[in-house]
Amino acid sequence: MSDFVSAPVVSEARQILERLRANMRVTIKGKDDVIEQVLVCLVAAGHLLIEDLPGVGKTTLAYSLARSMNCAFARIQFTSDLLPSDVTGVSVYDEHEKRFVFKKGPVFANVVLADEINRATPKTQSALLEVMDRARVTIDGEAHAVGAPFLVFATQNPVDYEGTFPLPESQMDRFLMRLHMGYPEANDELEILRAPRTNYDAIVLNAVANRDDILRLQVVAQQVFIEDSVLDYVLKLVTATRTEAEFKAGVSVRGGLALKHAAQARALLLGRDFVLPEDVQTLIVPVFAHRLALVRQSPDALEERRAITAILRRITAAVALPV
Amino acid sequence: MSMENRRPQLNLAELHQLKWLIGGLLALISAWTVVYMDVEAWLLLVLATVAIPVVTVRPGLTMRVPRLAHRLAFPILLSVFAIDMAGHWREPLPPVIRLALMLVLYRVITPRKRRDDLQIIVLGLFLVVVGGVVSVSIVFAAQIVVFTACALLFLLVITLVDGMESEPTLAGETGGWMQVEWRRLAQRLRECVDWRVAVLGGLLFAGVVGLSAVLFMAIPRFELGNSLFLDRLITSHAKTGFSENIQFGDVVDIQRDTSVALSVDVSDRSQMPAQLYWRMLVLDEYSKGSFRMSAAAKFSLDRVSAQNARVQGDAPLSARTPVWTFYVETGTSRFLPLLGAFNEIGFEGEKEVAFNRDTGLVMLRQTPSKMLAYRVEGMQSGPSLKLPEKGGEIRLNDKSELKLPSLTELVLHTDEKVKLAAWVAEIGAPPGSAPEFARSASRWLAKRHAYSLQSSIGSGPADSDPLVRWVDSAEPGHCELFAGAFTLLARTAGYPTRVALGFKGGSWNARSENITVRNSDAHAWCEVYDKAAGAWLRVDPTPGAAAVGDSANAPQGEAVLARIRDDSWAARFESLRVFWYRRIVNFDQQSQVRLVHNAKKLADERLREFKKTLREKLEALKAWIASPWDARRVAAWGLSAAAVVFGVVGWRLAGRGAWLRWRSGRMRGGPDPVRREAGRWLRKISDSGSVMADLDGVRAELENLRYGPSAKWPEPTGVFRRAKRTLARRRR
Repeated sequence: MSDFVSAPVVSEARQILERLRANMRVTIKGKDDVIEQVLVCLVAAGHLLIEDLPGVGKTTLAYSLARSMNCAFARIQFTSDLLPSDVTGVSVYDEHEKRFVFKKGPVFANVVLADEINRATPKTQSALLEVMDRARVTIDGEAHAVGAPFLVFATQNPVDYEGTFPLPESQMDRFLMRLHMGYPEANDELEILRAPRTNYDAIVLNAVANRDDILRLQVVAQQVFIEDSVLDYVLKLVTATRTEAEFKAGVSVRGGLALKHAAQARALLLGRDFVLPEDVQTLIVPVFAHRLALVRQSPDALEERRAITAILRRITAAVALPV
Repeated sequence: MSMENRRPQLNLAELHQLKWLIGGLLALISAWTVVYMDVEAWLLLVLATVAIPVVTVRPGLTMRVPRLAHRLAFPILLSVFAIDMAGHWREPLPPVIRLALMLVLYRVITPRKRRDDLQIIVLGLFLVVVGGVVSVSIVFAAQIVVFTACALLFLLVITLVDGMESEPTLAGETGGWMQVEWRRLAQRLRECVDWRVAVLGGLLFAGVVGLSAVLFMAIPRFELGNSLFLDRLITSHAKTGFSENIQFGDVVDIQRDTSVALSVDVSDRSQMPAQLYWRMLVLDEYSKGSFRMSAAAKFSLDRVSAQNARVQGDAPLSARTPVWTFYVETGTSRFLPLLGAFNEIGFEGEKEVAFNRDTGLVMLRQTPSKMLAYRVEGMQSGPSLKLPEKGGEIRLNDKSELKLPSLTELVLHTDEKVKLAAWVAEIGAPPGSAPEFARSASRWLAKRHAYSLQSSIGSGPADSDPLVRWVDSAEPGHCELFAGAFTLLARTAGYPTRVALGFKGGSWNARSENITVRNSDAHAWCEVYDKAAGAWLRVDPTPGAAAVGDSANAPQGEAVLARIRDDSWAARFESLRVFWYRRIVNFDQQSQVRLVHNAKKLADERLREFKKTLREKLEALKAWIASPWDARRVAAWGLSAAAVVFGVVGWRLAGRGAWLRWRSGRMRGGPDPVRREAGRWLRKISDSGSVMADLDGVRAELENLRYGPSAKWPEPTGVFRRAKRTLARRRR
């Protein structure tokens, strides 16, 4: 692996990502920043946690992405009676073959939408989280690789906590980023209202990239150059969350690595072969916020999220930029 | 968004290490002030000199001090101080200084908190200031400058440490800094210190010091020592020195001390007398084999004392006589060395002075505890001394019952008087002429005795006179024996004679242009009253001295100085001291005015020289252009001009970039100069707050230089030049 990425590779990567971005814009109106962050997550080979109210286009987003890169899409609706095998698959006895045959679950796709993940029992949650981490399913001692690329969109309703099993912080750590979609602007919403379709299945999108493109992008992203002072900046931000009195605990080592990978992916997305401090700054809230908890917990989840974001902004302002 | 902090910072442990180092340095500087004070603290000083560097280099050692020691330290220090104070309650300052020294030592060998660091500064300042006031030496100036610089740095580091410690830190971090790798710390310092800031700070400090020096020269003088009374608290105990109770033989003791006794400035070198006899006191009474100052003479001095900044003498003032300025070192004497009768003595402040017109002696009421300076005008320096006193007739207060000794009578056994009379007859000088007798007697003595510092007087009966015994023997002798013997002979011959004490000669310090007189120049000679001339005649009977009347032919003025010129390293060092004395001592505003005049004169001269050089260069250029041009000359100049143009253009195109690249290749680990430069330009662009499209291109290139992989850098010089141009355009 060379130290840096050659110019043609960068421009090719940029072209692919631009095509993806443009394609997704067709269906997701007025959410360019969200699209950008989804692409960052894709290139950094991470998983996404989307926390938002129902009906703001989470499913559409995931489906558009899967369609745009010509990948398999699966949607799992998490409920309290969902079993791990409903996610990963199950071994059934085949009468003809006289042996157990593995029936793949919905997780064997490239883009998996885990809807309302906090409604499932911790056991089922952890089954999914294990797949997210290892990119394979182990049933009866046999490992089955899931699709590559593999991207999980988990969604969570931040308001409705009745009958849910909130994800503990250790599990939250496995998501690269947490996004908020929010409501669209009035103009964009008007356009959505005008559209005839009602269901994401009705979305017709051309594929503008393929799996190999995405896998190549993921490799290239890892080679994006990150200068020592920028790495030091990442480290300082991580340390600052650890010494911040208002946080229960700081960001883990994995969190720091996540910020680095995400920044590399963003640099590639913007057609650079090196990371700017600005990349790091832009991504600190989506990458760090869900990994942190306040010492004084707020009864209102949205309130707590706002407080954490404010502290992170304060930290970003306090830590000096490497200029 | 903060834009500061482009370089690595020292961490808390490293700051602690730096703080420890500077603290040790401060302690060492303040401990060494004791060298210049007359305080008995040699053991403490040696201890401090050894312990402070060792503990400073290895702070881990402080942890080895047992806990019990800390608990006992305060009571022990206090009791030592109490005992010390009880023993020296008349002079409280030395025990206090010793206590300060002990406290500094204790602070250095134990771990310090912030309070203790500040304590070191305060104690150090106390020691340095007291040392400066007491010693008034040039070392003090250097010391306070170094001390101030260190203290400022120390405070800066303390502030930095405080700032960092207020942030929450992980437990168990305290004490971790004690494992110091000094080389690594030095390397980190090199990385972290912004040398531009450091140089700026240094220049600022130098500027403040320079300004203070100028102010010091400019403001009216005042006596710091007198206003603080500090010098009164330490009374100096001179190991050597002349006093009115000097015993026969003491002069030889003084001679063994080679330290400087006085430094003398003379305004006109051409007026330098052939012989320099610094007369300090006269011994008129002889009894039991020794000369002393008679009680009456002492009393006469005591009577006429006054608090005065000036002492008026009897010698006439003439325009030709030079002005002499004396700087007398501590412990030399309270009698002022003088060459002869004078018109006026001026002190740098009011002094309690006793002056006896009859003997020409001037005495301070108290032995000066620090350098004494005075200026003498209209001082006679010849071999004869015209005094109001006529052959030993000192005017005494009428009420006094004291009787002056006769200067011609001797209290001796008859057989000794007979011996002396026989020797006088043997000398055979014509009666009535003091100079004639002096010459003959000196010759006669020199024939009988050689000169030696080691002399022994042969034994004899317990009540016999030792001087007579010495004259009788063939033993060699020193100046005191010669002077004493001559006095006995002269008195026997009927000439009023006494012994004079002081210094003879000295050396000329060519560097500071002053005469340096050492204790080893101490001397004894005689004064004989010459009735014919009505004056006292200086007679030096010691072999090697010029005979009476010879001085007329001896070289004078500059020639004298050339003979006693001293160019040694010690002289160079002493010249600093004299320089310092001249600056701090002032009798009036004259020297300040002179200083300003000199500065102006120097500036004028330099300007004139510069103008002259410029004019010469211009003339040369004109001549050069006017001279005929041939093809070779034109070609040579064309080529040189082309080379210069090529060099400049080449440097602008690639030179700086190549240099930056070469440096960035060499500086592994340190901040990369290309990246730093690019960061600087990025900062400028972001400060300009512009969002112009043409800036974006430059910005992207700069970002590439700042954050991109170095292998794919664009040519740095070009980028910087474009950035400069774009910014300039944007400003327009």
